[in-house]
Amino acid sequence: MERGRLTRLRSTETFHSKDKARSSKVFNKILIANRGEIAVRIIRACKELGVTAVAVYSDADRRSLHVALADEAYYIGGSPPGESYLVIDKIIEVAKRSGAEAIHPGFGFLSENEDFAKRCEREGITFIGPSAEAIRLMGDKITARKIAQEAKVPLVPGSEGAVSDVEASVLASKIGYPVMIKASAGGGGKGMRLVKSKDEFESSLRMARSEARSAFGDDSVFVERFIEQPRHIEIQIIADSQGNTVHLFERECSIQRRHQKVIEEAPSSAISARTRKRMGEVAVRIAKAVNYQGAGTIEFIMDQKHNFYFLEMNTRVQVEHPVTEMITGFDIVKWMIRIATGERLPFKQTDIKMKGHALECRVYAEDPATNFMPSPGVLEYVKAPSGPGIRDDSSIYSGCEITPYYDPMLSKLIVWADTREDAIYKMGSALREYIVLGVKTNIGFLIRVMRDEEFRQGDIDTRYIERHPELLSPGEVEVEPVLIAASLAMHDSNDAKEKSTTQPVSNWKLYGRRIGVCGSSGL
Amino acid sequence: MTHTFRFQGQIYKIELMENEGQVKAEINGEEIPLEFQKIEDNLYLVLLNGRSLIIGVLKNQQHVQVFLDGDLFELESISEREKRQSSQLSLGVQEIKSPMPSRVVKMLKKEGDEVKSDDGLVVVEAMKMESELKSSINGKVTSVMVSEGDVVEAGTVLLVVSSE
Repeated sequence: MERGRLTRLRSTETFHSKDKARSSKVFNKILIANRGEIAVRIIRACKELGVTAVAVYSDADRRSLHVALADEAYYIGGSPPGESYLVIDKIIEVAKRSGAEAIHPGFGFLSENEDFAKRCEREGITFIGPSAEAIRLMGDKITARKIAQEAKVPLVPGSEGAVSDVEASVLASKIGYPVMIKASAGGGGKGMRLVKSKDEFESSLRMARSEARSAFGDDSVFVERFIEQPRHIEIQIIADSQGNTVHLFERECSIQRRHQKVIEEAPSSAISARTRKRMGEVAVRIAKAVNYQGAGTIEFIMDQKHNFYFLEMNTRVQVEHPVTEMITGFDIVKWMIRIATGERLPFKQTDIKMKGHALECRVYAEDPATNFMPSPGVLEYVKAPSGPGIRDDSSIYSGCEITPYYDPMLSKLIVWADTREDAIYKMGSALREYIVLGVKTNIGFLIRVMRDEEFRQGDIDTRYIERHPELLSPGEVEVEPVLIAASLAMHDSNDAKEKSTTQPVSNWKLYGRRIGVCGSSGL
Repeated sequence: MTHTFRFQGQIYKIELMENEGQVKAEINGEEIPLEFQKIEDNLYLVLLNGRSLIIGVLKNQQHVQVFLDGDLFELESISEREKRQSSQLSLGVQEIKSPMPSRVVKMLKKEGDEVKSDDGLVVVEAMKMESELKSSINGKVTSVMVSEGDVVEAGTVLLVVSSE
């Protein structure tokens, strides 16, 4: 039965899994230690499994959708995450008070917090995710790199930690230019220098060190090969508590801004079946090396020659998990819950097939024209797209507020179609159905990407957005429809107050006149 | 039914009229036949030369947001009196406002500096991200209201650029 279900369409899964879930030992109550669309996604999974869903919320989230959709909801404190969603004591206290047997952490917040996983264990609450040990091992970049190395996983050639000036120069020549010098304590591009040739090396090293010193108070740097036009490709894995580990193919997430993904797809348009298989095997090896349990993602960077290198492992559900669900028919969130109850994966790697192509666009409240500046505010009006193969994972509604406290993501719009080309058309058309008033969004930008020839050809890498500033704003605007709509809006809201004095102008009357229902009296 | 809007730095006059069952818009003197339906508050169906457009609108006093094909446009409705006063504005007095509650990180220009369109004027930080606010006109910085490190509310005027 399981095998048949896997290869069947996703829409039927709910009904199949329900019976299954009821017959197995599933939790009665799960606390979702998160907010926004991922909390909504997990609450829905709980309900489909017949599990009572417990939400937690901060001041800013009193009116949020996850609170409304949950079976129970408990207040946990102030709007800044440090006063609510990140406070371990408060989450544990609600779990105990509500009688939740397990906690699903979602992504962000406490999802990759080793102490939280440990605390859950101590309190006798199941943490839906890997062991605290696996979180610790993969959370530390240097340890993760060592584990990958031992598992014979390819790594970007470079130094294994901080290096002296002499070591750095020798190593740079050995791995070959261009190389990157990176601050050990770094982040956000600070203390990073691209060196194209040997004669630039010395001065670049000096600048990188001084930048690192002023930014982080630590001038240690490491050196690694610079990957030109890299693509970001990641493998979804899932493992049960008995160590059965499978991968669910790759996702390509090369379209990024500020090192954050904006558009994701599965499968990647760039890799061959052979590379896919190899990447999958490598990913499974890493997961097994840390006795991984649950859903996880192994991120790789891939160069133009399809050499791929391990970047890091995310020990939680990923924002872009839906594209994998769409091509495999596999409900990742539900499986995370089932695995946490001790259920075995009833299928092998060879049972898992992919079908068609899925795309995800992250709709953000932000203005692409001003360097993707967040645009919080009230969503005065929202109309989401729908149709076959279109999935909108969101927590927004007309009247909800996007506060500055959390990530300004409004929704994840996901489409599935037979081919990549069809999926791009479908995404373009779905995006054009979206209407959001009140805040600025990146929807127009996403529409322009769907029309862009390079994107359509799959000619993408992590610098795609930088290379395409022309997509950031609408370009030549057709002013007529904008002005017409604006004057209709003025006209409409003028109605009420002008009714008694000047000529009453009702749209219905105007409509009636036009179709000839009643006589025309002029406007 | 005449309205005047400021949109992307330009002034447009639009008149909606109906004649023998045909609705027309006259924009800056040019006539455009159209049909429209109000679907619900905030949502109109406009047929323009047979082209069907679903347009979102939001009015807040003089400010109108129009959402069309993924992009949000902002317009300001101006009365005849304001129009006369604002002829000065359209020549180019530009108030640089904080788009959201933020902290002033860096002033890139000071009073008296010449600026070109698209020059960065001030860097603000909000939600842990820095953004540069740019000038949309050529001119001179005529006044600076804030200094580095200031925490400002949304809509606070940070500095003024004038083309005079």
